Amino acid sequence: MLEIRNLHARIVDDGTEIIRGLNLTVKAGEVAAIMGPNGSGKSTLSYILAGREDYEVTEGDILYNGRSILEMDPAERATSGIFLAFQYPMEIPGVATMEFLKVAMNEQRKARGEEPLKIPEFLKRVKEAAASLSMDMAMLKRPLNVGFSGGEKKRAEILQMKLLEPKLCVLDETDSGLDIDALKIVSDGVNALRAPDRAIVVITHYQRLLEHIVPDTVHVLYKGQVIKSGDKSLALDLEANGYAGVIGEAA
Amino acid sequence: MPAVQDTIDRVRKIDVDQYKYGFQTEIAVDKAPKGLSEDIIRFISAKKDEPSWMLEWRLEAYRRWLTLDEPTWARVHYPKIDFQDIYFYAAPKSTPGPTSLSDVDPELLKVYEKLGIPLREQEILAGVQKTDASELEEVSDNVYKSGRVAVDAVFDSVSVVTTFKKELAQAGVIFCSISEAIREHPELVKKYLGSVVPTSDNYYATLNSAVFTDGSFVFVPKGVRCPMELSTYFRMNEKNTGQFERTLIIAEEGAYVSYLEGCTAPQRDENQLHAAVVELVALDDAEIKYSTVQNWYPGDAEGKGGIYNFVTKRGDCRGDRSKISWTQVETGSAITWKYPSCILRGDDSSGEFYSIAVSNGYQQVDSGTKMIHLGKNTSSRIISKGIAAGFSQNTYRGQVSAHRKATNARNFTNCDSLLIGDQCGAHTVPYMEAKNSTAQFEHEATTSKISEDQKFYVMQRGIPEEEAIALIVNGFVKDVIQQLPMEFAVEAQKLIGISLEGSVG
Amino acid sequence: MNMQLQPQRTSAETALIDAFGERLSLLPGDGAVMLKRDDAIEAIKHGLPTRRIESWHYTDLRRLLTAVPDFDPAAATKAIAPIVEGSAILAILNGVSSTKMPTIEGLSVQRLSEKLTDGSIAPGLDPYGSDDAIGALNTAFVADGYFIDIADGAELEKPIELQNLQAGGQTHVRLAVRVGTGAKASVVERQTGEGGGLVSSVSQLVLGEGAEVTWLIVQEQPETATHLAQFKAHLGKNSKLTVFFMNAGGKLVRQEIVVRTTGEGADFTLRGINLLAGDTHTDVTMVLDHAVPHTTSTEVIRNVVTGKARGVFQGRINVHQYAQKTNAKMACNTLLLSDDGEFSTKPELEIFADDVICGHGATVTEIDHDHLFYLMARGVDEKTARGLLVKAFVAEVIEELDDEMIVEALEARLDDWFVAHG
Repeated sequence: MLEIRNLHARIVDDGTEIIRGLNLTVKAGEVAAIMGPNGSGKSTLSYILAGREDYEVTEGDILYNGRSILEMDPAERATSGIFLAFQYPMEIPGVATMEFLKVAMNEQRKARGEEPLKIPEFLKRVKEAAASLSMDMAMLKRPLNVGFSGGEKKRAEILQMKLLEPKLCVLDETDSGLDIDALKIVSDGVNALRAPDRAIVVITHYQRLLEHIVPDTVHVLYKGQVIKSGDKSLALDLEANGYAGVIGEAA
Repeated sequence: MPAVQDTIDRVRKIDVDQYKYGFQTEIAVDKAPKGLSEDIIRFISAKKDEPSWMLEWRLEAYRRWLTLDEPTWARVHYPKIDFQDIYFYAAPKSTPGPTSLSDVDPELLKVYEKLGIPLREQEILAGVQKTDASELEEVSDNVYKSGRVAVDAVFDSVSVVTTFKKELAQAGVIFCSISEAIREHPELVKKYLGSVVPTSDNYYATLNSAVFTDGSFVFVPKGVRCPMELSTYFRMNEKNTGQFERTLIIAEEGAYVSYLEGCTAPQRDENQLHAAVVELVALDDAEIKYSTVQNWYPGDAEGKGGIYNFVTKRGDCRGDRSKISWTQVETGSAITWKYPSCILRGDDSSGEFYSIAVSNGYQQVDSGTKMIHLGKNTSSRIISKGIAAGFSQNTYRGQVSAHRKATNARNFTNCDSLLIGDQCGAHTVPYMEAKNSTAQFEHEATTSKISEDQKFYVMQRGIPEEEAIALIVNGFVKDVIQQLPMEFAVEAQKLIGISLEGSVG
Repeated sequence: MNMQLQPQRTSAETALIDAFGERLSLLPGDGAVMLKRDDAIEAIKHGLPTRRIESWHYTDLRRLLTAVPDFDPAAATKAIAPIVEGSAILAILNGVSSTKMPTIEGLSVQRLSEKLTDGSIAPGLDPYGSDDAIGALNTAFVADGYFIDIADGAELEKPIELQNLQAGGQTHVRLAVRVGTGAKASVVERQTGEGGGLVSSVSQLVLGEGAEVTWLIVQEQPETATHLAQFKAHLGKNSKLTVFFMNAGGKLVRQEIVVRTTGEGADFTLRGINLLAGDTHTDVTMVLDHAVPHTTSTEVIRNVVTGKARGVFQGRINVHQYAQKTNAKMACNTLLLSDDGEFSTKPELEIFADDVICGHGATVTEIDHDHLFYLMARGVDEKTARGLLVKAFVAEVIEELDDEMIVEALEARLDDWFVAHG
C-alpha cells in the first residue's frame, strides 16, 4: 500500500536535510510502528507523507497504491485516503467542530463520487463514533480543538479518523500527553479500525503505546533512515536496552 | 515556493474580477445638470417639494462646506475629487414613489431579481401588491422564516419604494423616505435632523447636508418594539452620480428597532462618490441595532473605478440605559472612510461596534469607530476584524474616551487583522483617552497571516486550499457574523466567500 | 508641505529664534554643522508642532511650551552620586562636558563639542522626519555632550552613567554611542538638575553585530523644568538592546524612543514607567521600525497618574514589507488614581509584511478591588494597601531587568518617588 523508496528530504527554509535515503514498505492490513530517538525524523516523515510544503523531497519517491503522491497537495492526498493524526492538532477559532466534520466528510464523499451526507445520517455517524471514544457531543459544538485538553485533542483526532475512513492512517506520537485511561480509549479506537484493506503507521517514541496497539512490524528510524526492521519483539528490545545498541549495530 | 506565489496571484483577483453585482440597469433617469452650486441645491429642494426651512438648512450647510478643506488624516490616497463633474441629483423616472408593484418600473424589478439574497426585494415587493394583511404575512413568512423585513429601496438618489408601511403604521412605526418625512412629519425632522451629526460636523457630512436627495426615516414611538426588521437597500446606478443619502432613526423611550442596510453599485471605469450621513437617536431605555453589508463596486483588478465611500454614521445614546449597536461587513468600495460612532450621553447607556472589513485589489479601507463616554456607568465594546489581500491597505482607526464625569466607564476593544499575501498592509490606530479614575479600558490587537499550520491541518482532512482559507477566515470573523440578523449573516458569509473565491491555486 | 499662512509666532517660538541669533557665534561647529543648524532653525521658524501633527496629537508643543528661559552660562552645578555604585560617571554640568575622561579598557570618550568643531558628527545631526521638533531644536542649539566608543568585544563590568544636570536656563546636549561587535555594556542616562530649565537631549546609539546593551533613562527633573528628549538606536545583526525608562519629574516632558532594527536576529526590549504627579504633562512616544526579517521586540509601559497630571504613550510599530518573520508585542497599562488626571494611549501597528506575529494591548484600570480586599483582610490599612499595590504594579517592570544592582538602584528611585508623592 505504501512504498517509500530512497527518500531524501530537506527543510525548504534552511536546506537542512532531515530524511536521508529512507526505505519503507507497509502492506494493506499491516500495522507498522516507527520508532526512533528524538530528532531522528519521525514527525518530519509524517508531515512529508501528508504533503507539508515546508519540506522538499530532493530524491526518491513515495508510492501509495503504486502511484507517486509527490505532486499531490495535502487535500488531494487526504481525499485519496491518507490520514495524519497530528501530534499537536491545530486550534481553529470560530469554526465549529461539527461544521468542520461535515465539510471534511463531504469532501471525502465528493472524491468518491458520492452525494453529500444528509444531516440525520451525518449526526448519527458522529454520535456513534463519539460514543465509542467516550466523547461528549457538547465538545463537538465548540470551535475545532479550541480549549480542548491534550487528551481531548487526541481523541478528536481519532474521531476524525473514524469518520473519514482513510486507507492509510499515520499516527504521529498519538500517545504523548495521554493518561492511561485515555490511552486505552484511543488505542481501542485505533484497533477497531484495523482492517485487511487498511494500513496503519504508528509513530512513537515509547513502547508503551505498542502494548495497546500491537504492531506487525517495527522499524527504527535514525538520522533520516530506517536502520533496522523487525517484528514486535524489536520494540521490546528497544525498551529494555535503549536505542544505543541498535544505533551502534547499524554504525 | 511556487504555490505561495500562485496563492498571491490568485488572491489579487479576489472579488475585483468577480464582482457579481456589477450589472447596469437601463432605467430612464431624471437628472440635474452636473456640478454644485446654490442653484443645484435649490433645484434638488424644489424637485423634492421641500418646505423653505429645509432649503435654508441646505444652503447654510453648502455655504459652510465652501469654507472647509477635505480631511487628509486618514490613510487613503486618491486623486482630488472634482465636485463640478458630478451629478448631484439623479432619479429613476418612475418616481413619485409607487404604492404597489404595478407602479414600479419593470427594469427596476429585474434589478431586484438579480440581487438575490440580500433583501429578496423580489418576493417582498411581490408581497406589497397583496394589500390584505393576513396574506401579506403569509407571503413574507414564506420568505423569511426567522422574521419579516420591511424594505426602503433607494435607487441612485431617490427612494423608490417602501414596503410594509401600513402594517408598521398600525404599530405606530413610521418608516418612509426622508423626503416624505420632511413633508409629512416636519416636526420630527426639525427636532432631530442634524442633532447628532450637525451640518458643520465634517467635510463630507456638511456636503451631504447640502445635497442629500433621499434616504430612510424611521420613528419608533415610546414603548414600541418594531414588529419586523427594517431595511434599506441602496444602489448607485447612474454614471457620474454621487449618492448622498441621509438616514435618520429615532427610538423613543423603551422602543426597539433593528435596521439593515445593503449597498451595491455597477461596475464602472470612473470613480463614483458616495457620502452618506446616518443619525441615530436613542432615548431612555431604547435600543437601536444597525447592520450594514456594504458591497459597493470596489474597482477592477488594476484599481480602476470603484466607489469612494465617505460616510458619517453616528448614534446618540441620549437617554439613560439606551443602547446602540453597529455591525458592519465592508467588502466593497475603492475607498472606505467610515467610523460609525456612539455618543454615550445617557447614564448606563451602552454602545457596540462589530466590524468585518475585507479589502483586496487596490482597495483602501480606513474604518473604525468612536466611543465617547460622557454619562455614568456607560459601557462600550468594539470587535473589529480586518482582512487585507492583494495590494490593498486596511486600517482600523478607533477612539475610546472617558470624560471627567463618566464615572465607571467601561470599554473592551479587540482588533485583529489578517494578511493574505505580502503586497498589502494592515494598520491599527487606536486612540484611548481616560479622564476618569474609575474608567476601565481594555484594548487588544493582533496582526498575523493565516497560519500555515492551520491551513495544512484543514487540508489534511481533504478540504481544498481555497475552501480551507474560506473556512479559517469565516472562523476568524465569527464573532462579528453572529451579531448580524440571520438573513444578513448568510449574505455576509457568502460575500466573504465570494471575496475569497479563486484566492488560491 | 503646509502652504497655509503661519499664525503669529508664540512668545516661545520668538524666544527660540532670538536665542539662536544671539548664540550663533558661540556654538561650535564647522561649515557642515552650521548648515544643519540653519536648516534646524528654519524648521522651528515654521512653527512648533501642534496637535494637528499626528505624532504630536496629545502634546501640542506650540501651546504647551509657554516660556523659554535664557541661557545662563554662570549657573553652577555639580556631579551627583551614581545610582549604581562604582559606575563610571560622565557628567554634563549646565550643558558643558568634562575634560576628565575615565580610563577603562575598551572605552574611549570624546567631548561632543570637539566632534562638532571638527564636523565629524554632522551626518548624525539630521532630524529623522519633518515632525522631529526635538531633533531640530537640539540640532540648532547643541553645544556639547559626549561621543563614546565601546570597542569590539569589550565587556564593561560597571555601568557608564551619563549625567545631564541642568541648572535652569537652556541645556542642549547630545550623547552619541557606538557599541562594537560583540561588546557588552550598561549605560545609565540621568536627566535631572535644579530649576526650571529647558532641556533638549538627544541620545544616539549604534549597536554592532552581536552587541548587547542595557540603557536606562532615569528622568527626575524638578516640576518646573521642560524636558524634551530623544533616544535613537540602530540595532545590528543579532544585537540585543534593552531600554528602560523612568519618568518621575518635569513640568513638560516628551521622551521619544526611535528604534530601527537594521540586522537580522536583532532583539529590542523596552520597559518603562511613568510616575506622574502634580500639574504636569508627560509624553512618551516610541517609533519602532522592524526593517529586516527575523527581528523581535517587546514593549511594556506602566503608568501611574496622580494629581492633575496628564500622561501620553504613543507607540508605533512599523513592520516593513521585507521584514518577514517579525515578532512584536507591546503593552501599555495605566493606573489612573485621580479624577483630575488623565492618560491617553495610542498604540499603533503598521504592518506591510504578512508572515508576522504582532500585537498590542492597552488597559486603563483602577486598583484591583480583590487584591485590595485581600490585603485589608490581612489587617493592612487601606492607604498602605493601595500604596503597596501601586508600587507592585510598576515594580513588576523593573524586576524583569536581569541585573541585580540595577534593579535595586531603580527600586530605590521608585521608593523615593513614593515617599515624595505617597
